[in-house]
Amino acid sequence: MMSERNIVQKKICMLGTFAVGKTSLVRRFVQSIYSDKYHTTVGVKIDKKLIDMDGTQKMMMMLWDVEGAEQAHELRKSYLRGASGYLLVADGTRKETLYRALEIQTRAQDALGLVPYVFLINKSDLVDEWTIDERELEALVEKGWHVIRTSAKSGVGVEEAFMALARKMMEMPK
Amino acid sequence: MMAEPRSQDVLEEGVHLDAASDDAEMAELRSLLLGPAEGQIAEIHERLTDPHRQLTEVSTVLPDAIAVRTRQDDELANALGPTVTTAIERSVRKNPQPLVDAIFPVIGPAIRRAISVALSGMVQSLNQSMAYSFSVQGLKWRIEAWRTGKPFAEVVMLHTLLFRVEQVFLIHRETGLLLQHVVAGSAAVQDADMVSGMLTAIQDFVHDSFNSPAEEQLETLEVGELTVWIEQGPLAILAAVIRGTAPQELRPVFQETLETIHLQFRTALQDFSGDASEFDGARPLLEDCLQTQVDQDKQAAAPNRFPRSLIVIASIILLALLVWGFFAWRDSRRWNAYVERVRREPGVVVTDAGTRDGKYFIDGLRDPLARDPQAFLAEANVDPKTVVTRFEPFQAMSPEFVLPRARRLLEPPPTVNLKFDNGVLEAEGFASLEWITEMRRTVRFVPGVTQFKDENLLAVDRIVNPSLLFELDKTEPAPGQEEKFKQLMADIERLQKLAESMNKNARLEITGHADGSGSEERNAELSRGRAEKIASELNARLPSKNNLTIVAAASKEKLRAELTEADRAANRSVTFKIILTDAR
Repeated sequence: MMSERNIVQKKICMLGTFAVGKTSLVRRFVQSIYSDKYHTTVGVKIDKKLIDMDGTQKMMMMLWDVEGAEQAHELRKSYLRGASGYLLVADGTRKETLYRALEIQTRAQDALGLVPYVFLINKSDLVDEWTIDERELEALVEKGWHVIRTSAKSGVGVEEAFMALARKMMEMPK
Repeated sequence: MMAEPRSQDVLEEGVHLDAASDDAEMAELRSLLLGPAEGQIAEIHERLTDPHRQLTEVSTVLPDAIAVRTRQDDELANALGPTVTTAIERSVRKNPQPLVDAIFPVIGPAIRRAISVALSGMVQSLNQSMAYSFSVQGLKWRIEAWRTGKPFAEVVMLHTLLFRVEQVFLIHRETGLLLQHVVAGSAAVQDADMVSGMLTAIQDFVHDSFNSPAEEQLETLEVGELTVWIEQGPLAILAAVIRGTAPQELRPVFQETLETIHLQFRTALQDFSGDASEFDGARPLLEDCLQTQVDQDKQAAAPNRFPRSLIVIASIILLALLVWGFFAWRDSRRWNAYVERVRREPGVVVTDAGTRDGKYFIDGLRDPLARDPQAFLAEANVDPKTVVTRFEPFQAMSPEFVLPRARRLLEPPPTVNLKFDNGVLEAEGFASLEWITEMRRTVRFVPGVTQFKDENLLAVDRIVNPSLLFELDKTEPAPGQEEKFKQLMADIERLQKLAESMNKNARLEITGHADGSGSEERNAELSRGRAEKIASELNARLPSKNNLTIVAAASKEKLRAELTEADRAANRSVTFKIILTDAR
C-alpha cells in the first residue's frame, strides 16, 4: 500500500475513566474492523479516520481507544507512547469523572510532554442531569484548555472535537 | 578565513613600528628576532591570500575529508543530497544524453530482471494450475476452491506452499504508525494501518503484562497456518506475516532488512511526524522479504508422474468408451433389424419394443400358426439372454393363416386339396363320406372362412365298396346289378377327372371276396375270379383309361361276420382300394 502524498499519520489516544463514552465517541467518528472486546482483552482498540484538513492536506488519525482506568496510575503508559495528541473525555453527568480526567491529563502530560489535547465533556444530550459546575470548566478554559461539549448519542460536537485536535496537531512544530 | 585578517593586523602593526623608530636598528632587531622565520611568514601570507593556492590545498584533502566524515555519520550525504539532486536535474535539463549513456548499461538488466520476476510468478502459478488441473488432488482442490470461493490457483498455491511471506509491515516503533506495507500477490489483507497499530498495542500489552525486560519483546504470533514474526529495531519494527512453516533462515533476512532500513532512514525515523511517504524508498527492501517456497517434491512429482498416468487412464477410458460405443451401436442396429424382421413376419404384431432395465424387450401378438419370433434372434445375431419376449396369442385373418388354420382344424386326408382365396375355402379331391360330413360341419368355425365350396370333392365310399353282389359259387354278378355298376363307372370317371385336375394318376386295386361256404381253395378262386370279372368289365366299358390302372386281387378276408343269409350275400362282392400317385 503506497502512502498517498499529503497524508500525514498521527496517533491519538482517547483517555478518560470508565463509562464516560470514549468508545461511543470513536464509534460516532469512524468505521472499525476490531470489535469492542479488544478493550477488555488487550486494553486498547485501534481505529482509523481519514480527515480532510483543507483539501490538499489529509490526516490519517490512528485512534487508540484506551481502556478506561479507575485510577490515573493504572493508565498504561506504553499505549500513550508516540501519541501526537489525545482526547480527554469526562462524563457531564458524573462530576468525579472530571477530576479523574484531570489526573489522567497530568499523567499523560508526564508521559507525552506538551502535546495537543482537547477536553470533551460528553453526554451533553443529558444536560439536565449535569453535575459538573460550569465555573470549573470556565476555570479550565481560562488556563488555556480547549473544552468541547459532546454527545456521542446525537453526534453533537464529535466531529468538531476531532477536527479541533487535528488542527492543533498540525500547528505543532515538529 | 577568520585567521587571515588577524595575521594581516600583526603585520601592519609591525610595519607601523618600523616606521616610528630607527629604521636600521629595527631592521636588524627584526632579522635577529624573526631570522629564518621571516621567509616562512611570507610564505604563510602568500598561502592565505592566494585563492588559487587555497583551491589546490583543499583539493588535496577533500577526498580524505569526505571519507573520514562518511565514516562518522551520514550528515554529508544529507548535506549533499539536495545539491546532487539539483545538479542532476539541471544536467538532464541541459543535455539528457550523458545520463542516458550512463544509465544505459544498467537499465536493460534492471528491466529484464523486473520482467523475469513478474513472469516467473505468473509461470509458477500457471504451472501449478496446469499440473493440478486434472489430478484427483486437483479435483479435490477444485471443489475446495468452489466451496471457499477462492481462485483455483490460490488454492493450489496454499497447498503446495511450504511457506510464503504474505505481508511485511514496517512500523514506526514510537507511534505504532504504519510506515510501509507490502503484500505478496493475492494474499488477503485487512486494513494495514489498524493492523499495524494493533500489533504494536499487543506487543506493548504482552510486554507490560509479563514484566519482561525492556529488550525482550514479543517475537512470534501464531494463528493457525499463519505466523507473524516481529523483528525489533530501536526505531522501527518489521512484522512479517508468513503462511506455512517458515525456516529459521528467514529471521536473519528480516533482521538485515530492518538494519538496512535503520541505516538508510535513521533521520527520517527519528524525526517522523506522520508522513509515511518518506519511507517509500524502503519498499524494494521490504519486497525482497516477500519470499515464497513451494514444495518441490509435490510440484516436481506432479507434472511428471501425473500426466503420464492421466494419459494412460484417459486413453483407457476413451478406448473403453469407443469399444462400448461401437458394441452399443452394433447391438442397437442388430436389435432394430430384428424388430423390423419380426414386424415383417406374418401373423405377428409388434405392439412395443425397446429397452427396459438394461434388457431388450419386445411385446406383441402372435398367431399360434406364425413362426416364433425367437427363431429370428440367432439370424439377427441378438443374444436371446438379453431379450424378454412376450407375445399374446391371436388369430390372424390374413389368407396365409386362414388356410393353415383350416388344415389344422379340418385334418384333411392326403387325397383332399384345400384352397383358400378371398374368403372362399375350396376342398377338392376325395375322401370318406364321414370326413366330408364332419368337414362340412366344422368349416363354419374356421375363422376367416366366409364361404365353402366342395363341388370337386368326391366321397369315395361308393367306389371303395360299390356293393356289387355275386351269385353263390359264381364269378358272374347277380342279376339286377347293372344300375350299381353304372353308378360305379360314373364315380370312377369323376375320380379320374379329379385325379387329372390334381395332376395324379389313379390306381384301382379291386379285391374280390367270397362267403364262408365252400372250400378255401374254391373261395380264393372265386374271389380272384370276381375281381378279374369286374376289372375286365370296367376296362371294357370305361371310355377313357388315361391315368387309370386297374388291377385285380383276391382276399381271404370276409367283409363282415356271416350271421344271416344277407351277410353271406354281402360278403360275395368286390371292394376297391384307391391309390393316387403323382402323374409325370
